[in-house]
Amino acid sequence: MAETSLKSAAGYLPMLRFDRKVARKELRWSGLGGSGRGLRAVAGWDEDPVTMSVEAARGVLGGDAPDAVVFASTSAPFTDRSQAGIVVDALHLPSGVMTQDVANTRRAAVTALLRALRGGGTDLIAAGEKRAAAPGTGPHLNWGDGAGAALTGPGPGVARLLGAASLHADLLDVNTTAERGTPYGAEDRFVRDEAVAQVYTPAIRAALADAGLDGAAIALAVVPEPVAGTYRALARGCGLKAANLCEEIAAQAGDLGAAMPLFGLALALDRARFGDKILLAGFGNGADVLVLEVTGAGNGSAAQALTQGAILDSYTRFLNLTGTLGLDWGPRAEVNQKVSASTLLRHGRDMHGFVGGRDRGGNVQFPKTPIPVRPDATGPEEYDDVVLRDVPGTVASITADRLNFTPDPPFHFGLVQFENGARVVMEHCDVEGPAPEVGAPVRMRFRIKAIDRQRRFRSYFWKAAPIARPELTQEA
Amino acid sequence: MASGIKDKAVILGMGCTEFGERWDMSSDDLMVEAFTEALADAGIEKDRIGAAWLGSALDDVNVGNSAIPLATALRLQGIPVTRVENMCATGTEALRGAVYAVASGAVDIALALGVEKLKDSGFGGLPIRTKGSVNDLWMPYGSAPGTFAQLAGAYRAKHGVSAEDLKRGMAHVSWKSHQNGALSPKAHLRKAVDMDTILNAPLIADPLGLFDCCGVSDGAACAIITTPEIARSLGRARDETVAVKALQVCTSHGWESQYGAWDGSYVPGTRTAAAKAYAEAGIADPRADIHMTEVHDCFSVTELVTMEDLGLSDAGRGAFDYLDGRYDRDGAIPAQVDGGLKCFGHPVGASGLRMAYEVHSQLLGRAGQRQLRNVDAGLTHNLGGQPSNAVAAVSIFGRL
Repeated sequence: MAETSLKSAAGYLPMLRFDRKVARKELRWSGLGGSGRGLRAVAGWDEDPVTMSVEAARGVLGGDAPDAVVFASTSAPFTDRSQAGIVVDALHLPSGVMTQDVANTRRAAVTALLRALRGGGTDLIAAGEKRAAAPGTGPHLNWGDGAGAALTGPGPGVARLLGAASLHADLLDVNTTAERGTPYGAEDRFVRDEAVAQVYTPAIRAALADAGLDGAAIALAVVPEPVAGTYRALARGCGLKAANLCEEIAAQAGDLGAAMPLFGLALALDRARFGDKILLAGFGNGADVLVLEVTGAGNGSAAQALTQGAILDSYTRFLNLTGTLGLDWGPRAEVNQKVSASTLLRHGRDMHGFVGGRDRGGNVQFPKTPIPVRPDATGPEEYDDVVLRDVPGTVASITADRLNFTPDPPFHFGLVQFENGARVVMEHCDVEGPAPEVGAPVRMRFRIKAIDRQRRFRSYFWKAAPIARPELTQEA
Repeated sequence: MASGIKDKAVILGMGCTEFGERWDMSSDDLMVEAFTEALADAGIEKDRIGAAWLGSALDDVNVGNSAIPLATALRLQGIPVTRVENMCATGTEALRGAVYAVASGAVDIALALGVEKLKDSGFGGLPIRTKGSVNDLWMPYGSAPGTFAQLAGAYRAKHGVSAEDLKRGMAHVSWKSHQNGALSPKAHLRKAVDMDTILNAPLIADPLGLFDCCGVSDGAACAIITTPEIARSLGRARDETVAVKALQVCTSHGWESQYGAWDGSYVPGTRTAAAKAYAEAGIADPRADIHMTEVHDCFSVTELVTMEDLGLSDAGRGAFDYLDGRYDRDGAIPAQVDGGLKCFGHPVGASGLRMAYEVHSQLLGRAGQRQLRNVDAGLTHNLGGQPSNAVAAVSIFGRL
């Protein structure tokens, strides 16, 4: 039986980066503005751990469908709904794929990756995070939103497992309860000292020993830090000389929680050379530590995500996007957006998977209808499924609507013309500044379609986004 | 082959309420006000009415479902009363029901009444409506201005019209209507507005500014329809009778929004409905034979594009024709002589009938300060839904 290897890894960040200097300035009166250094990735109103996980997962899927899909998050929007299942549908994977949701610790994705690498299957692990935190706290500014994904499978890949170790310790650097909803942290100095002494040092030493390496052999480290300075404090004791990519990610996007290790792994692969050794850690009430050897190239997604986006320099918009500013949007926001469970069961896979159909005359349309839209269609026809998420499209018409309610105005929408002939009226996302012109190319993004604010439910669909993001110009 | 309805039905009487923020009036009050005027204009007793159609679109802020509210408000006893709804073409649909009933010989006299009480929604603009449990899973919740604003970008891309020229042309559309609305005692907005104010108004849906959008109002309008023969028997002279020359509706079957051939710069349904209406009315040259229009100016760009769809302007020339005054009250083909939706607002169920009311008034020489000279035929145009999924209605009225 072929050795299981890492086939691919990818990272995804939302478009916006909040400039922490803005918070420092706005909160100067309170003394709660933090360091003011660096950027924080901020999810759009229509992004959550599920949507971002899907975007990251799109970067790792290759040929055959995986046997299993694992969704990892500490901020999953549903506590009793398979979000791995939503990922399966969004990626239009077979319904027979095994799904598993893992949660409640930031190292959940790394644990799942280790099990997959030891288990021999083709597993897709997707981790997303959009964690709530109260304004004025360190996490509100220092955490970031984002996702990472990894795909394992038999045979050669981009990296192989050399060794690993796991360790449990109930170190409460932060904890979040269902009742409180936001994190409660311990003293930084305690966290740093004990994370080094009781968690990381023994776990890393054990992993290195399992791999038969010493710390100096590590070329790239992906070690999430519960407190800044943790890695530097542990590196000497573990003989590590490599830079920790998580420091860079934290500075440019924030601590991505459960998504941090997989995003960091993708970034490490983007920067690694063949034969390099990567130290990958997941932290949270203990640690899982993996030592990997690079056998292939990264796909560039994480490196690109770090350098592209748009600066968010409005503190109130940042508060609004992080759900901490209770704006009253008035009666226009009162529209009933209840989702029917029976409708969702009947149509959800086509909606989440953006599955249109090719009719008997060859025309592609979305959604499928009993009688095709093709002008010469005379009666009901069968369709062949056509997934539209990766089909190139262009703007056929568009506007920036400032009248209807949207949590982050304006509301861009219009007709999108797909290269294969399909045409769909769609919402646009990731538009900062002027709306795209007619004819502009767009790409599809999996997003929240609507939030039913009465029942706290959310529906998902695809939206059109500009084909490329601008390069970030502000230094972190 | 169908012979059409030309001259098979005439308007015996019409009524129209003042449109506006009728805080003191219920939907029932509005219906009674419009009906009372129409009945008096028709000169008949209520019991001569053999069937009635109610147009109302937004049941959650209006009269609710079914036609019972009309039958109850007017106490129409023992006749079939039907409610119709076809989005912003609802008023014309009610008229079509009454006209078809009379033209078919099913009844001698029929009533069409449209009403909407938008100002009970509690906010400006139209209420946001869901699109059904399946469509809500994917279809964006765009506003009405948002859906129509998209004509502008596609129109510019197709015709190479600059953003500035289109904006100025659109502004002239609104400027002209406000000039006319100032002369309309039943209009909601009766104040002239200068071009600079229109051009510099806040954006609602790019590139539509506040003054590119029609008002939001309460109102009702009503028509009593009969045959030419019955009108004569009631003592109505030929020159006191307005005939229905054509009434055509074209409903999108989804081609525009789902099939790739439409460029988004025009409304195909309007073109189809217009072609059929011209044929039904026997009009070969609409630029010569249509003397005035009341078109669906929900937004300035809609009116501008509609003039091309109706064949009254050449493709890509609408903006410049407006700037040249072609559709001003003293222009070649006056449009929105009463101020249009722009100044009356758009109580959805009533608008199609309100348009017919103005054409009726002009043809009978009753339009007061707005009266045009040499009007023998007028066209009304209603547009429901959105350009990519529209219900287009074109009606032509004239003398017998």
